[in-house]
Amino acid sequence: MIKDITIGQYFPGNSFIHRLDPRAKLIVTFAALVEIFLCKNFLSLALIFIFSVFSILFSKISFKVVLKGLKMIYFLIFFTALLQIFYNEKGNILFEWRKIKITDGGVYTAIFMAVRIISLIFISSLLTYTTSPTTLTDGIERLLSPLKKIKIPVDTLAMMMTIALRFIPTLIEEIDKIMNAQKARGADLDTGGVLKRAKALIPIFIPLFVNSFRRAYELAFAMECRCYNGSNHRTRMKIMKFTWRDIAAFIFIGMMLAAIILLNHFFGAVI
Amino acid sequence: MTVLEAENVSYKYSVGTPFQITALDRVNVKVEQGDMLAVIGHTGSGKSTLIQHFNALLKPTEGRILLYGKDINESRETAHNARFKVGLCFQYPEYQLFESTVYKDISFGPANMGLSSSETDERVRRAADFVGLSENMLGKSPFDLSGGEKRRVAIAGVMAMEPEVLIMDEPAAGLDPRGRRSILELIGNYRKKTGRTVIIVSHSMEDVAGVAEKILVLNRGSVAMHGSLDEVFSRSDELRGMGLDIPQITRIFSELNKYGFGLKKNVYTVEQAKDEILRYLHKGGNAK
Ligand SMILES: Nc1ncnc2c1ncn2[C@@H]1O[C@H](COP(=O)(O)OP(=O)(O)OP(=O)(O)O)[C@@H](O)[C@H]1O
Ligand SMILES: [Mg+2]
Repeated sequence: MIKDITIGQYFPGNSFIHRLDPRAKLIVTFAALVEIFLCKNFLSLALIFIFSVFSILFSKISFKVVLKGLKMIYFLIFFTALLQIFYNEKGNILFEWRKIKITDGGVYTAIFMAVRIISLIFISSLLTYTTSPTTLTDGIERLLSPLKKIKIPVDTLAMMMTIALRFIPTLIEEIDKIMNAQKARGADLDTGGVLKRAKALIPIFIPLFVNSFRRAYELAFAMECRCYNGSNHRTRMKIMKFTWRDIAAFIFIGMMLAAIILLNHFFGAVI
Repeated sequence: MTVLEAENVSYKYSVGTPFQITALDRVNVKVEQGDMLAVIGHTGSGKSTLIQHFNALLKPTEGRILLYGKDINESRETAHNARFKVGLCFQYPEYQLFESTVYKDISFGPANMGLSSSETDERVRRAADFVGLSENMLGKSPFDLSGGEKRRVAIAGVMAMEPEVLIMDEPAAGLDPRGRRSILELIGNYRKKTGRTVIIVSHSMEDVAGVAEKILVLNRGSVAMHGSLDEVFSRSDELRGMGLDIPQITRIFSELNKYGFGLKKNVYTVEQAKDEILRYLHKGGNAK
C-alpha cells in the first residue's frame, strides 16, 4: 500500500553513517552527487558506484529496503536507457533495421545513465534513511545560516521545513485511513478510465485538505501558546559537533574527487 | 447460521521492513447471524486490524475470511461485494465526510451500490431518521455540524447501505457521556429493529455491557475469550491481567456479595443494578 513507500523515510540506527554530523553528511552527500556527474568513463563511475554500495553496507540498512525504494523509478531508469539506445547515434552501428539504428555508443550511454541514476538514488536516499528529518533540517539551517546576513529568514524557513517533513508520515497515514473509509462505502478507486479515477479522488482529497487545515490551525495555536517566535535567537537542545568521523568522511570524499579527476584524465571519456 | 468466520487468520504489517509487526496471530472467530458482538481489547491488541479483514480491506497474511462460507478474497468481485454486505464504520468517521451536503454524503454508499435514485432517497431518509438527523439538517454542509452530529452523519452513511453485518470501530470514542450513551443506544435500537448482525469495537467494558450480548476479547493479536457476557465477566482476574476490567457496577455487586448480600452476579449496567436492588429490598433482605 501507500505506506510501503520508503524513499524519504528514516531508519533509526547507530552506524558510522548515522552518527555523522548532519552538516558533514549534507556536504559529503552533495559532494558525492556532484562527483557522480563529474564521472566521464566507466572506471570513475564504477568507483562511485562501489562507494555508494559500500556506504549502504556501512549504514547497516538492509539492501531490500533500498531496492524497494528504487522500485518507483525502475520505469524511469528503463525509459532513459531505452531512449539512449534508440536515439543516440554515436559510434559504430551494431544493428540496423529500416529507421531503427542501434550504435555501440548508444548502448554504452544507456548503461552509463542507468548506473548513474541508481548511484544517485542510493546516495541521496541514504541521506534520509540515516538522518531524522529534524536533524536534517537543523543541519540545513546551520549550513545556510550565513544567509541571515542578507535578511533571508533561514530559521523560519527551516521551521517550516521541519513541520512539513514532520507531517508527511501523518498525511500518508491519513490518506490510507480515508481511502479505507471510502472503500468501505464502496468507492471504487482502481478501475475505470482516467476521468473516473480522477473523480474517485475527490472523496479522498477533500477530507484530507479539510483535516490538514484543521491541523495547521491547531498547531499554530499550540506554538503560539508556547510563545514561539521565529526570529528570536533560539538555542538548541542538541549541539552539533564535528568529530573524527566527520573529518574522516571529508578526507575520504576529497580523495574520491581526486581519483575521479585522475581517472577522467587518464582514460578516455565515454560520454 | 454462521455469517462471518475468520479461519486461522494472521496479519503482519510492513512485511519485509524493520517495522514488521504481527498484528493478528492465528485468530479463529465465528460470528453468528443476528449476533450483537463486542470486540474488546487493550490499545494495539488488533481490534481494528481484525474488523478490516471482515470487509476485505485487509487481506490476511495467512488464513481465510469466510462470508456465508465463501472466501471473500477469492476475486476482486467477491472482495468488492463484501464491502456492501459488511458495512464498516471507522474510528472517528467524521473525518471522512466530503460532500457539499449531508444528504449527498449519506447517499455516497448507496449510490456506489448502483441503486436507483428513488431507492437511494428512501434509504438516505431512513438512515438519517434512524440516527436522529432532522430533515432540515440534510441540506446543510457536513462541515458546519458539531462533532457529535458529524459522527451521526458518518454512521448514517454506512447504515444507508443496509449491510447484513454492521461493524463499528469505537463508535463512542471522543464523545461526552451523553453523546456516548445516545450513540450506543442508537446502535442497540438499530439491532433490535432490524435484527441484523452488529459488531462493535470498544475498549470500555462499561460501554459494551449495555448493548452487547457476546464479547470477543483480543489480547496481543490473539483471541483470549469469546462468549456471553456472563462467561467473559466471570473471568475478571484474567481480564485485569490484559489491562481490561469488568464494569464498575459489577465490581460493586461482587464486593457486596462478599458481605453476604445474596445479590445476582450478572449485573452489568446501572439499570440492571437498580432493578436488582429494588428486588432485593422488596424481598425484605438484609445484611447479615
Ligand atoms: N497501518 C499500520 N501500519 C503498521 N502497523 C500498524 C498499522 N495499523 C496498526 N498497526 C499495528 O498493529 C497493531 C494492532 O493495531 P490495531 O489498530 O488493530 O489495534 P487496536 O486494537 O485497534 O487499538 P486501538 O484500541 O488503539 O484502536 C498495533 O501494534 C499497531 O501498532
Ligand atoms: Mg483501533
